[in-house]
Parts: sequence; C-alpha cells; structure tokens
Amino acid sequence: MSAFDDHSPAMSFTNEEILRYSRHLIMPEVALAGQQKLKAASVLCVGAGGLGSPTALYLAAAGIGTLGLVDFDVVDATNLQRQIIHTTADVGRSKVKSAAEKVHALNPLVRVLPFEAALSSDNALAIFRDFDVIVDGTDNFATRYLVNDACVLTGKPNVYASVFRFEGQATVFAAEDGPCYRCLYPEPPPPGMVPSCAEGGVLGVLPGLLGIIQATEAIKLILGSGESLVGRLLLVDALTMRFRELKIGKNPECPVCGESPTVRELIDYEQFCGVRGEESVTTASVPEIGPEELKERLDSGEDIFLLDVREPHEYQICHLPALLIPLGDLPGRVHELDSAREIVAYCKVGARSAKAVELLHSIGFRRVRNLSGGINAWAERIDPTMPRY
Amino acid sequence: MIRVELPAHLRTLARLRGEAALEVQGAVTQRSVLTALEARYPALRGTIRDHITQARRPFVRFFACGQDLSLDSPDASLPEAVASGAEPFLVVGAIAGG
Repeated sequence: MSAFDDHSPAMSFTNEEILRYSRHLIMPEVALAGQQKLKAASVLCVGAGGLGSPTALYLAAAGIGTLGLVDFDVVDATNLQRQIIHTTADVGRSKVKSAAEKVHALNPLVRVLPFEAALSSDNALAIFRDFDVIVDGTDNFATRYLVNDACVLTGKPNVYASVFRFEGQATVFAAEDGPCYRCLYPEPPPPGMVPSCAEGGVLGVLPGLLGIIQATEAIKLILGSGESLVGRLLLVDALTMRFRELKIGKNPECPVCGESPTVRELIDYEQFCGVRGEESVTTASVPEIGPEELKERLDSGEDIFLLDVREPHEYQICHLPALLIPLGDLPGRVHELDSAREIVAYCKVGARSAKAVELLHSIGFRRVRNLSGGINAWAERIDPTMPRY
Repeated sequence: MIRVELPAHLRTLARLRGEAALEVQGAVTQRSVLTALEARYPALRGTIRDHITQARRPFVRFFACGQDLSLDSPDASLPEAVASGAEPFLVVGAIAGG
C-alpha cells in the first residue's frame, strides 16, 4: 500500500478535468483512482533550472495537485540552452516567478507554491514538511546534501538526478527502503575537484532527459505503481545513448539514515562541503590580479606574460594575447615559461588558473598571479565587445 | 586487457577518450587495476584513491556487472567478466549539476 493511498478518494473531477486527463484515465494503471492520487499529491521541485524545468512542466501536465518551486536565482541568458521553462523574455526575472507562470499557463488547475529563496538549513524542514515528494534539481553539492538530510529527517522520498557534460545519474533515495545520498557518497569532493556545469559544460537536452526521469519516478511513487529507482542508480550517457543500471545499498553506518545516526538535525552544508557556494571558486589562497589593474599595467607597457590555461575550443571563443597551455598539459610544458617574467594566468572564471598558479608556485615560479574572475570578468568589465560564455 | 570506465571529469584530467584499456599483471583486483591505471595516467593519482592511505575516496564508487564493489576488499578478485575484458570496471563519481 502506497503512502498516497491515505489521501481521500472522494475527490471528484469536473468534466474539464476528465477531458484533460483522459489519456491517463483510460489506462487501468492510473484511471480515476490514480488521477485522484495525483490531484491530492504535493511535489516540491528544488531548483527551477535544467532539471526542474521539465520536471515541473510534466508534473503540472500530469495533474499534480500542488507543486512547490524553490529557487533564489534569476534567469540568465546562459540558462536558455537547457532551462526550457524560461524564455528569452524572462532573462533577468525571478526563476520561480517565471516557472510559476509557465506552470499556470500549462495547467491552471495546479496550485503553485512559490518559494523565492535559497534552500537553507533554516527553512528546509519547514518547507519540506508540507510536501509528499521532493525532487532534487539543484546544482551544487552543498544543497544536495541539505536536500538529502532534510528528506531523511522528514521521511520524504528524494527523487534525485544530476548531470555533467554528457552524463547523468538518477535514483530515488528513500531512507526507509533504500539508501540515501550519503549512503552512496558519504562526503563531497573537495571544492574544485569536480567541475560544475558552468565550468565543464552540459549538453542542453541532458537535464531534459534526466528531469523527465525524475518526473516519471515522482508520478510512480504517488501512484504506487511499477518499480521505483529505489536501490538502483541509473547512469545515462547521452553520447553513446547507453543507460546502465547499478545496484546500490543502504549503508548501516550512514550518519543520517544508518542504525546509529549522528546527524539528527541540519548542519552547515557549505562548511561540510568546504565551499561558500559551488560557483564561488576558492581562489583566495593564490595571489590575484583584477581585470582593471591588469588592463592598466598592460596599457602602460609593462612586461606581463599572459598564460591561458583553458582548452583550445574555449580559446577559439575569445582570448587575450596569451600563450595557450591547457591546465592538463601544464606539468609537461612548464619549460615553455620563463620564471623570471611576471606571469598572469587566466581561464574562464578563475578556478583552473588558480590551480595553474598553485602548480607554478610549487615548482619555484614566484611572479605568477591569477586573473580574478577569469576572462569572463575581463569581458564584462574591460572589453564588452568580447563574448562571455 | 582490463577495461576501466571513468567519469567525465577524470577522463578530461587523464586526457583519455573513452575507456582505459590496461594490462594488469597477476591477480585482477581493485588494487592491481587502480595501480595500473594510475601508472598509465599519473594525473589520476589522488582522485580515486587517497594519496596516502590508498583508500577509495568517499565521493567515488566502484561497480562491475551491475554490482557495487565499493565495500569489497581492494585485494578481492574482480569478477571474471572484468578480468576477461567482457565487462568494464566502473569508477562512478559524484556530480552535482542540475
């Protein structure tokens, strides 16, 4: 028996609803009883981005009664390649407002609960309590651990997916029956070790593919039908279009859902993950130069050697008069650099070049600095004709 | 020939396209496969196993033939299908994009 069987089956449908959901109603696996469960259910989409866009749209179309949307961000032009709930006209607008409008336009029968805020340890439990299913469409490790722990503490299923470049992972973490996120990955990678989509890229349709898997799993949980992804990790490779299924198990020693849990309340997840936000790269440990100072010194004719540590396909988009040595090649090509000269290294936003500066310092280069904010900051603040990406 | 599949960011780090194909001497275990992998691609040292302890890092898991081998002994034999090259040894890492 599904937890959703507890909802009152007495809910009736208007003729308009019966027509709208007719393709569900004629399937015995859904029928009126299943559609009633969907109507009585509430789903929270954490993140109205790449994963949240298709998830929210399909859940609304399916007739979920209450749809919560959490996001603190505004729509950016770089979002439009994959975040299909937002349009060009929405750039600069609140993602939650934009998404709520699209959901309402698609299905005005859905009650939308917007939360225009960053999910945090202070608000997560209160927000989660009112929902039956949580869908994790966030984009950083700190919030993923927060969503996991809040789901375990409130006893809610966590419909999970994540994407990077051409690859995605999906599962359902439901601590009563299967593993939670911490059972799978007890600790996050150190900051900077696993690039974000902003740094490494993502195929635009990939979050669509994974988001629809999340919507499917949420609907199945509500209907109590089929086999959920609990205990199974689905790996998706869009380049080869291969789907691989792996068994994953509960960790009895898990600090949140194990036999003797030590995490009984929400913690400081940014501290746990060693970051203050996934995109704010930890570059503070290396000496930096700002775009304005670099411009001034180059204009005054100072001898500064520019080192671009991005990949060749990024160099093609835009570059400064620099030597291109991708970060991965740098250890084998340091002999091309003159340690006596002043060097400024740059990448897209400053993370890879910070590693390059660290590497060069470690082998004796003393006059190396990192261009803070990378070439994107240069394009934004110094040369508006240069494309940002 | 042992086949090893790595997550995208580690393939980038190793400058590797597709799977790694490795010759492994002696018993085919997690330890021998990962040692051969790190010898061939030194940039991977410290990313899958801890530099010092050589223990699997907590944001990485090992799978083969659909099964999670992460908690197995590093010296336990890997499935015959991995040893014969019929199935890859999978290194799966946490990603957070959304």
